[in-house]
Amino acid sequence: MSDWQIAIERALENNIPKVEEILNQYPYLKDYGVQLRQTKEEVVNNLEKYVKQTMESVKRTGGKVYLAKDAEEAREILKDIVGSNKKIVMAKTNVGHEINVTETLEAKNNQVFETDLGAYLIQLSHGESSHIVFPSLHLTRENIGELLHDKLNMPVNRNSTIEELVAQVRQFLRQRYMEADIGITGANSISADSGSVALVENEGNIRIDTVFPPVHIVITGIDKIVPTLDDALKEVMVQSAYAGLYPPTYINVSSGPSSTADIELKRVSPATGPKEFHVILLDNGRMEASKDPDMKEALLCIKCGRCYFSCPVYRVKGSSWGQPPYGGPTGAMWTAIVNKDYETANYCTHSGGCREVCPVQINIPKVLEHIKWLFIDEGQNNLSVTP
Amino acid sequence: MAQKLQRQLSAIKKVMVGTLNKNYVPFPVDKSLCSRWTNDLSHGGETIIYTSFMYQLASLFKSYEKYLPTFSNMGGSSRMASLGKLFIKPKKEDLERSYAILRNISAMLKKAGINHGYLYDDEPYSGGLLLELGMINEFKEYGGKVLQKFKDNGVRRVITVDPHTTNAMERMKKLLNSDIEVVNYLTLIKGLSGNGQFVIHDPCLYTRYLDLGETMRDVLTNAGIKVKEDIMVTSKEYGTCCGGPLGPVDLELSSKIAEDRARKLLSVSDKVLVACPLCYQNLSPYIKNIKDIAEVVS
Ligand code: SF4
Repeated sequence: MSDWQIAIERALENNIPKVEEILNQYPYLKDYGVQLRQTKEEVVNNLEKYVKQTMESVKRTGGKVYLAKDAEEAREILKDIVGSNKKIVMAKTNVGHEINVTETLEAKNNQVFETDLGAYLIQLSHGESSHIVFPSLHLTRENIGELLHDKLNMPVNRNSTIEELVAQVRQFLRQRYMEADIGITGANSISADSGSVALVENEGNIRIDTVFPPVHIVITGIDKIVPTLDDALKEVMVQSAYAGLYPPTYINVSSGPSSTADIELKRVSPATGPKEFHVILLDNGRMEASKDPDMKEALLCIKCGRCYFSCPVYRVKGSSWGQPPYGGPTGAMWTAIVNKDYETANYCTHSGGCREVCPVQINIPKVLEHIKWLFIDEGQNNLSVTP
Repeated sequence: MAQKLQRQLSAIKKVMVGTLNKNYVPFPVDKSLCSRWTNDLSHGGETIIYTSFMYQLASLFKSYEKYLPTFSNMGGSSRMASLGKLFIKPKKEDLERSYAILRNISAMLKKAGINHGYLYDDEPYSGGLLLELGMINEFKEYGGKVLQKFKDNGVRRVITVDPHTTNAMERMKKLLNSDIEVVNYLTLIKGLSGNGQFVIHDPCLYTRYLDLGETMRDVLTNAGIKVKEDIMVTSKEYGTCCGGPLGPVDLELSSKIAEDRARKLLSVSDKVLVACPLCYQNLSPYIKNIKDIAEVVS
């Protein structure tokens, strides 16, 4: 068996029974998924209104907010906020990956460190992410033992246990925070009513990234907007459960820069945490998708990554299907939205398990059927102009 | 990259639409080969058994990628059609096997008291492949002709025998607002017998699109067959496709998926049952003991 086959088999064996167990043990999660679908539909159908409301809410909390129409614009905004010669800690963000945050900031003489273990392993190995929640899924514990030994001279090897590997990296990553000027995160959800960003995690890195450095920058897609903070919390609960990680160790909510009302009950900012809080909202094809009756279904995705494991194409092709970070079934929809890549969808074999396991019941094969049609249609135009 | 696949799919579309419009077959074949499995059913009638050539031509469907671009390069479709008879022909043993399966399905329907006719060489292909390759406009256009053909022959109810045709007909009905009745044979047959213990490879379209997974299991268990299940391999959520539909897009990937699927199925039982002629084609290179449902119940 290839390394990929070993890695995916182990992932399936560890993840599938775990998610099943979680959904049986906490039955309300399925109901939350159904409710989320409704609230997210409401947002997608009125996206402009919700973007506006979110921006106003972030401002109200003392944060700064920007709307970037595409990746280039988002990069410019980010460069302006960051400047150069900064040390930046990053919590794995797919939208950050979408706009190439690391390369963009490094080109301006900044140092960027991934603090999520999986994302860090990708950075260290110069590899590509192979799953939207578990980017280093393609690396087996044997690969990781070798990588850490070879690149960082850590006292681990092919035969080290997973616990030993994690302990070594933990020590290493903890040192990173002390000198950080800026923390960059994505958002699992952002609420229009309060401008709050919700993030779910287990490692503790997001919690530190969001409070320790004096500046916190959030980069997220406008599809992550939900109407209320209540919905935002539900989204992170459902996301973590369907990823097989429930209860999550940490749920983080950030609404503006740090503040205190301890003196005369007057709320002032900043307090101990960040003094600046920036939110970059990225469009990059999402608004257009929200107006397409077939495509808008994809915007409901909460990026739990469960559909990957039910997909025979992903099981065989791994990260070579789609354009990271958007791989697997949801990625075949998302790469069409953000990269106008309609080819990837053609590799869908309409197995249909993705739809069965999706917490928000996205009819993924139907969306992909539509993208296949766009591909054929586009081909007709392309091929008629090229002999 | 994208252009290469676009070219390939365009070629497929061109040939398929050409042969469909001319002969109601997806690629140039001698239609009489497909209808030879019976001669004792009446021609047409209100209720018909509808094969859509799937069992008879399954081995050819798998080779789409190999055949179709060649045909499209040959230019004119009239020349293609005649050459087709020479070029595309299923193997004798594949045909014989498909005939036996269809005869059994027809016999099981009769046993359940379902009188049915057959359109013989007038039978049209459903156009399922157009649909599955995203050629929605062409599928709609051709679907109109299929429905007309049924109408012309006085057909009001079609009994489908495979997942691809059942799915295509269901979609066609919705897209074109047709009131033709589509019913799958598995929902009609009863009082059957069989034996043995198998793991089922669910056709995606039956189980995850048409809600026939339980029906299929009921048919088998009622006939006395034991079905082995494993949530990781045979559940609706985690069971997966054999990769067959990817043949025209990427034959190598299609085969890799089949190999992977076969390995999983064999971890549950060395005897595997399928319910779709394309699954059979795709999986049989990797599984010695593989049979269609209609080969184990009667
Ligand atoms: S499409 Fe559904 S299952 Fe897949 S990542 Fe999105 S929410 Fe999760």
